Amino acid sequence: MVTGNKTETQFLKYIHTVGMTTMRGRGFYYPVDSAMNSDGRIYTVSRSAEKTTGDTIRVTMLNEEGEYFGIFGSKGDEDGQFMWPVGIAVDSKNRVYVTDEYLHQISIFNESGEFLKKWGSRGTEEGLLDAPSGIAHDPEDNVYISDSRNHRIQKFSKDGAFIHSFGSYGCGDGEFNLPWGLFVDINSEVFVADWANDRIQHFTSDGKFIAKYGPSETEKSAFTRPAGITVDKDGYMYVADWGNEMVKVLDPDGKFIQTLRGEATHSKWAEDFLKINLEEAQAREKANLEPQIQYFNEDPHEESSHIEKLFWGPVSVLLNNEERLFITETNRHRIQVYEKV
Amino acid sequence: MPENQMELIAHLMRRAGFGATRDELEKYNAIGYEATVEQLLETSDPKWMSEYLLRRYHPDESSMLIGLSGLQAWLYRMITTNTPLLEKMALFWHGIFATGYPKVVNSKPLSDQIRMFRRYSMGNFNTLLLQMAKDPAMIIWLDNQQNHKNAINENFGRELLELFSMGVGHYSEDDVKECARAFTGWTIGNTEYMEVRSARDSDWPYGRISWHYEFDADDHDDGEKEFLGRKGNFNGEDIIDIICEEKETARFIARHMYHFFVADEPPVPQWPYQPPRDPEAIDQLVKSYFDNNYDIQEMMRFLFNSDFFKSKDCWYEKVKSPAELVTGVMRLTESVDRPEYEYPAKEQRMQFMGQTLMNPPSVEGWDGGTMWIDTGALVERMNFASEELGRLTTPGAEELFNKIASDGNGEVLPDKIVDACLEHMGSIFIQDDTRTKLVNYATANDVVRVANNNIDDVGKESIAGVIRLIAATPEFQRA
Repeated sequence: MVTGNKTETQFLKYIHTVGMTTMRGRGFYYPVDSAMNSDGRIYTVSRSAEKTTGDTIRVTMLNEEGEYFGIFGSKGDEDGQFMWPVGIAVDSKNRVYVTDEYLHQISIFNESGEFLKKWGSRGTEEGLLDAPSGIAHDPEDNVYISDSRNHRIQKFSKDGAFIHSFGSYGCGDGEFNLPWGLFVDINSEVFVADWANDRIQHFTSDGKFIAKYGPSETEKSAFTRPAGITVDKDGYMYVADWGNEMVKVLDPDGKFIQTLRGEATHSKWAEDFLKINLEEAQAREKANLEPQIQYFNEDPHEESSHIEKLFWGPVSVLLNNEERLFITETNRHRIQVYEKV
Repeated sequence: MPENQMELIAHLMRRAGFGATRDELEKYNAIGYEATVEQLLETSDPKWMSEYLLRRYHPDESSMLIGLSGLQAWLYRMITTNTPLLEKMALFWHGIFATGYPKVVNSKPLSDQIRMFRRYSMGNFNTLLLQMAKDPAMIIWLDNQQNHKNAINENFGRELLELFSMGVGHYSEDDVKECARAFTGWTIGNTEYMEVRSARDSDWPYGRISWHYEFDADDHDDGEKEFLGRKGNFNGEDIIDIICEEKETARFIARHMYHFFVADEPPVPQWPYQPPRDPEAIDQLVKSYFDNNYDIQEMMRFLFNSDFFKSKDCWYEKVKSPAELVTGVMRLTESVDRPEYEYPAKEQRMQFMGQTLMNPPSVEGWDGGTMWIDTGALVERMNFASEELGRLTTPGAEELFNKIASDGNGEVLPDKIVDACLEHMGSIFIQDDTRTKLVNYATANDVVRVANNNIDDVGKESIAGVIRLIAATPEFQRA
């Protein structure tokens, strides 16, 4: 059963797709997050797989039109290298921050990808990290990090000096279970994808609980393992509902207004590939890429594995200055772009 | 050999599972043997580490771009599952319906096939055979996408009879051809595109696409066929119905069950020439097959409760496969509860021992038995088990130290240490001279002393030394 888009409200519409799978170079290999600088340059971090070597783990630099600016980073624990990269963010000076949940550190690069510095080490004390994942900056360039295996959010200065932390393991208000993506708005309020609790939590800048979205007292949560969150200037929330293979839009009151299931088309890079690989392109042309299949338990993960246009592993949501929404998909190695109607 | 229920349950757990910790054995012992069998057979609510957790930390286990990606997920699952028999059944059927990566070149359908085994492995054999015939990885593995109405490809039809149901000598070449005709049109969706992608090992532009079964009615030969002495316009379902009614099918499956769960038999190609080790047991399993309308779960219930299974004549009569050994060792350490970066290395150790799941040496799967043991593999098996079980900081090791310390302060005698270690590793019964050597080793080691309910690091290291030696014994390497 193809779910398609539920259009409770037609708030967003699909525009196009960016990127494609490549083990190295121009493309992505299990992208886990994307960030954008003030010039519209996109930085997409590819986690790759443990068995691979070299620069399959990398940050790819591109823009929305598919212009390619190169890569930086590779597998390893030296300066500028990664093992399990997971989150990426750009500060107001266009410096690029990457979290690594194996090395328990943050690496910082200039806008061209030259390594500047790194900080962070493993531990449970305040200021130490255990599997840092999501990362975001406030308007003063302070850094908020989902310290995921410590089940808390930590705030650091841009140089890595600890400021404060909030949260602990649990499922009550203000508690976390393996938090992942997070977002800080212009008022420095913090939104956290509280992954294993199937919800979004909303806090003041100093960590006071404001609200939660997803679970209700009587019904199953609307989210399954949400991985990413972003919020626009009007307060609309966009959630990467990773376990449901969807993106959900909530109005400022937390009411669900649109569910996206994905509608990818060929990106510029995909077109380039198919132009020079005619045998594959011709066979693809004849194929039915939206087969009608009965899925066991109507599992959305399984459905996405069969139908290429659907989101598969929507992990990160990013809004640019024009409020276009960039959705990074780990398992399809691409970014789908939507805009407001 | 001592006779008690605990040791019998330990035998059951080595065969129907991957062994058991001392705590698990005590729990099962409290409910008794037959109730333990029932618990093992109850597989309707399998739980393991969590697929979401695995996908979050190892995204390649989601879409599987790297060759044999699903193997890692399977190993995590075998180690952390609450339904070990379900995983043993998946291993069992994977060994018979052996399908491999080099021809499929897409890990997702291979992983999907293992999932199919979990769903149908404890149901009706007819249903399982039908699902297997429609399985996309199997279709590509045995070329059934090239089995056309006007140009049959016999590969699947032949293996269905020879390797999956009846065995050599119980059908004719004409039966093979007629069988193949009945399965014409059984293919996968988007055949041409998927074949091109596999041939090029292509994951472009957006990663792997899962495969699905498709019936092409236009390419199906629905004419009259003569198969195993019967005539009709048979399709694939009819052929499977006929196969399942055959006594030779029941005997073939029964012997496989005996080989996997009771005692090692010679490799399958020798079966036409070498009688079963226990013909009466095979006859009983055949009767169970027909009495229960081909129900596999009922056959397993009968097998585990049978005298031939419980008999001490078959204890330790099986060499653990690398998958069983690695899984059993890691379950004993109780150290796997979340994804770790280093984890793929465990899977590689299994390969160094001679078994790469989802990549069998041939369509006949693995011979098993003493074929697992050559000088290189044996050293790797002993090293792996000794290294993992000899770690001082795993939860499993901590449990053992606490258990020994709970007997009170003072020096712990070497024979007590050996007995505690044997119990900890799954109530292993060893030969007297082996036990003597272990006690001598423990005696020569540093003294283990309990003070304030604690054992110091020197004492722990002495105990770990005994564990490492037991891991290398024939009894531990066997099931």
